[in-house]
Amino acid sequence: MEGLPRPGWFGFGFRGFGQALGSERGLRGSLQGPEPLVVGGLGAGDPEKDAAAQVTQVRPSWSFTGFLTRDGRLVLSGSVNGQLPGCRDLLASEQHLLVLRTETEGSPAEMQAWAAAPELRGTPLWTRQILQRGDPPNPALLPLAPEPGWYVRPMQPFSQPLCPDLKARQLVLGAEHALLLGGMGQVYTWGTGRLGQLGHGALEAELVPRPVEALLGLAMAQVAAGGWHSLCVSEAGDLYIWGWNESGQLALPSRTIAEREKTVAGGDGELYTWGWGKYGQLGHKNTASLDQPQRVDYFTDNLLHVEAVICGPWNTYVYAVKGKD
Amino acid sequence: MSGASVSDNKMSARYSLSEELRALLPQTKEGLKLDFSEKIEKSVVVLLHQARELFYEGKKNECLKTSEIIIDYSWEKLNTGTWKDVDKEWRRVYSYGCLLKALCVCLKTDDIPEAIRVCDMGLLMGASILGNILVKVVNVLQKHLQHGKRHSETRIEELSIKKTRSDSPMTPAVKLETAVPRLQCPSLEFFRKNYLIPQKPVILEGIANHWPCMKKWSLDYIQEIAGCRTVPVEVGSKYTDEEWSQSLMTVNEFISKYIVNEQNDIGYLAQHQLFDQIPELKEDICIPDYCCLGNGEEEEITINAWFGPAGTISPLHQDPQQNFLAQVLGRKYIQLYSPQESEHLYPHETQLLHNTSQVDVENPNLSKFPKFTEASYQSCILNPGQILFIPVKYWHYVRALDISFSVSFWWS
Repeated sequence: MEGLPRPGWFGFGFRGFGQALGSERGLRGSLQGPEPLVVGGLGAGDPEKDAAAQVTQVRPSWSFTGFLTRDGRLVLSGSVNGQLPGCRDLLASEQHLLVLRTETEGSPAEMQAWAAAPELRGTPLWTRQILQRGDPPNPALLPLAPEPGWYVRPMQPFSQPLCPDLKARQLVLGAEHALLLGGMGQVYTWGTGRLGQLGHGALEAELVPRPVEALLGLAMAQVAAGGWHSLCVSEAGDLYIWGWNESGQLALPSRTIAEREKTVAGGDGELYTWGWGKYGQLGHKNTASLDQPQRVDYFTDNLLHVEAVICGPWNTYVYAVKGKD
Repeated sequence: MSGASVSDNKMSARYSLSEELRALLPQTKEGLKLDFSEKIEKSVVVLLHQARELFYEGKKNECLKTSEIIIDYSWEKLNTGTWKDVDKEWRRVYSYGCLLKALCVCLKTDDIPEAIRVCDMGLLMGASILGNILVKVVNVLQKHLQHGKRHSETRIEELSIKKTRSDSPMTPAVKLETAVPRLQCPSLEFFRKNYLIPQKPVILEGIANHWPCMKKWSLDYIQEIAGCRTVPVEVGSKYTDEEWSQSLMTVNEFISKYIVNEQNDIGYLAQHQLFDQIPELKEDICIPDYCCLGNGEEEEITINAWFGPAGTISPLHQDPQQNFLAQVLGRKYIQLYSPQESEHLYPHETQLLHNTSQVDVENPNLSKFPKFTEASYQSCILNPGQILFIPVKYWHYVRALDISFSVSFWWS
């Protein structure tokens, strides 16, 4: 007789590149309902047990997923494979992997950018040391300008200093916009606005972070972003969503089809999903898109209490623990 | 006819469709070139190769699934950023996805209208691949489409009489002092010297009235040639309204929903390069000779179709190129303002609408836009067979008085 699934990571949705999602490895058809996650290559012992015990963070891109383990390894699965020791976090995209390498004896923590390739080999594209407060500024000599009229600017490209009082708490990225959550719970957005994803009441782009006036006075606890929409949840537990409603991701009646899903873990450990469902990423054992939140019954049916949700572009990873009977 | 021979006919028809489609493609999978710039992510190129392999191996189901993934992923790229900045390579990827999907849908399920719809999506959103193969595929598919009885055999004139919209205003009067001048077949030099160089609007007669479209086009003809084709339709009274939206539907659906039947909404098949999508219709129109007076190449001329019921409105706006607006079916009321009047026309300040005036020309809010009364203008009713020259950046407002089909030529 099959027992209830063990607490740990679960996945559902798209796995067209064989990225680890559910329990059967190598399969590529979409998973329309949650399954316990199995990640290959995690080391000795019972692989399934290891997966549940060892994965601490999941970073999905479209064609691969990065798993961060308790012992500091980055395990990659899908169109990119391999492992990197000594990793603390990963920002995954289809072009690059941005890895935060931990401090080892003699070397400080540093950021590394790797090209997304089937196997991670050789050396990173670039590295950048993490400066700690109190570090002296880099006194490196600047090279002589090669010709009259040239000049050297010792600044990182695309570096944009923010107001020092801002105390950024969280930064999330959509396809063309960004949301920033400040220390006092205020929400700032910038980027393109043509689909209403900035929430400033018009369709103009913003070049610098601009506070969302409609939310002034409400303290937000968390922000999130899909491709072309934005979300935040207040300290009081109210969810605010704005942007492109192509697939009902604003949880309002929509008109036609196709785009990202949204998920919310309720305070009592229940998971609700809505939006685009074509690849099973809503977890309701079908491929329907929804414009109203619907509970993912798999977790309640199996007495699991959802603690974390990670939305990949077309799939979902969930961390659930044993719920109260 | 016995049941057996009916199904035999059906089988042989189906056989010849798949034969005709395969004849359009290279014999081997290596012949179906998949060359893309580095901009296309390797994982997507892998999928394209997989889809091609599956197709040539006859694994239609799996090919269909892989094509869907290619379509969905490239669609997201097409929706990132402004349309003009979308990399052409992603549009090509999208077209490849649509090609393989359309072929698999057709060969697997016989759903020819759906296969045509998918090809149209590739034509509307994608970029030309394999010698514009999607157009060729649609031609083959259309031949095999069963022509059912059409509901409306109603002619346009009858429709115009039957349909008197309760809210349609009377035909506006065109005052002599403000009328756009009309010329009968001016020479190239005369037009250039007196209208193109000084940038003055003029109606050209005797040029387009012999184009095949003037005799051939009717609702019936359009439905016959293009009824099953998917086109973009603007829904809402004006593109400046909040409720305005765009939607995709077949020409048959558009005619049935927005032209023939009483509808609350206005639907307008507007600013669409229909003649690239349906080359057969391009043979019914001609490029005005006067376009050669410009600097650009003939291939660079943008030809748009404007097809809709009475009452469609294009709010006062300006375009960045010279325009010949040829009227084919029905009449349009047009009001024109020189770019020098721009100060009186209150253009929107947003980036998106800076080429559009805030003023409703036929119902201006003069307390909000007082200087509008000082703007001098010209007006006309453009009839079938006439061409209106709208100089570059000349402000124009257009309202259809009847069921209308216009063709515009944007040139430089």
